Amino acid sequence: MRRVAVTGIGVVSALGNNLEEFRGALAAGRTAIRRLPEDVTRGSGVQVGALIDWDPAAHFKGNEAGSLDRVAQFALAAAGQALAASGLDLEKADRNRVGVYWGTGMGGANTLETAYSTVYGKNDFRLRPLTVVMAMNNAAGSNVAVKWGLRGPFANFSTACSSSAMAIGEAAQAIRGGRADAVIAGGAEALLTPGMLAGWQALRTLAPADATDPAASCKPFDKRRGGLVLGEGAAALVLEEESIARARGAPILAIITGYGNSCDAVHMSKPDRDGQVRAMTQALAESGLAPADIGYINAHGTATIVGDVVECEAIRAVFGDAAGRIPVSSTKSMHGHLLGGAGALEMAAALMPFDEGLLPPTANLAEIDPACAVRHVPQKAERGAIPRAVMSNSFAFGGSNIVLIAQKA
Amino acid sequence: MDTLARIKDLAIKELALDPAKMDSNAPLADLGIDSLTFIEFMFKIEDEFGVKVSDEDLRGIKCLADLERHVAASLQAAGKA
Repeated sequence: MRRVAVTGIGVVSALGNNLEEFRGALAAGRTAIRRLPEDVTRGSGVQVGALIDWDPAAHFKGNEAGSLDRVAQFALAAAGQALAASGLDLEKADRNRVGVYWGTGMGGANTLETAYSTVYGKNDFRLRPLTVVMAMNNAAGSNVAVKWGLRGPFANFSTACSSSAMAIGEAAQAIRGGRADAVIAGGAEALLTPGMLAGWQALRTLAPADATDPAASCKPFDKRRGGLVLGEGAAALVLEEESIARARGAPILAIITGYGNSCDAVHMSKPDRDGQVRAMTQALAESGLAPADIGYINAHGTATIVGDVVECEAIRAVFGDAAGRIPVSSTKSMHGHLLGGAGALEMAAALMPFDEGLLPPTANLAEIDPACAVRHVPQKAERGAIPRAVMSNSFAFGGSNIVLIAQKA
Repeated sequence: MDTLARIKDLAIKELALDPAKMDSNAPLADLGIDSLTFIEFMFKIEDEFGVKVSDEDLRGIKCLADLERHVAASLQAAGKA
């Protein structure tokens, strides 16, 4: 049976633009959330976010960055890191068997917003010729395929907050099913623009700035939580068929063994416990694991009033007694909510305990909400035994629930 | 700096062209500039010189020297040169 190994991870996030910095920040419980500058938030009313200080010139030569939306720039940087870490030699690999599975919620949001502001704001209908190919939702993933000549299967998923988790799950299926031998799987998001922020603000799910410390604005599972905080960035995993990866001496960071996919099918934005239970149960069954085999859960944990309670109820329903022992944290408290990029970035966080048994915390969790009773990792990272398996949850608007399980190699 | 030198400078910066191979009379394709890239470049030219290059003008521009003639004429018409 074909198994799927993770052989490389790349990260672009407000916590750091590589895996080492990212995990260093998680280990330290440091948050990257801050007050958004005026030119980003404008009149939207959004106060805080996890904005990346991004210098395209540091990542792209010549005019390359000029033809890439910010979201594609993040994607290429993360994919490049993941490939380098994996040691996959694309000169030797059969690139007809290497694919790209990507996820993003809003795609080229910056390009789209610039175009609209030109047309409606300036009544100027002469747009840049690359507007369409920079804004389209599949541009980030397609640029990854073009850059490295990856001619195998390609897919782009856009299911809001579960997009990149779905990309990883489906990529694993593609490798297991023999469609590909390796896939760069991940996701990216870059929608911190005034128009997008205005849309989010209108939903009334965003946390206001914490009165004393803006960095502490996102408080998952805490009684004082006031909503989610948007972030941006990307993460990419190199997934390979295990025996091929082992034959070339690749680093085997983890094995993806479970993928749960369900739809609530009840409401566009209100989460549903049963839908989440179905996804977690399915992932466990596919892994052949008992609930108690899971040693860490990276929760969806957006810090909305309703969402955190429903997720904890779902975890208790699936894990029963074991729910009191399995550490759960939401790293969104530190890197913000990457929406379409969240699932991939949070896999990069979820796999962290496989290294040295270090569990990333939920920052700012000082007053645990009794309605969110699970075994938390509040405020500070904890060191424990290296777990046998970890779970990462991604639950999206539209009712899409994706659960990934990885096992220690 | 004269107009052609400014155009060349911008092309080197924006299009990552090799200064050594920049022949003003060479067809744009020979410099590695495809049509879409050239239209993108026109936006930079418009910003740099404060001129407009219409789609019709664009069709007559086959090399950097053509572009220089167009920009110089536009500047002159606007009384900027």
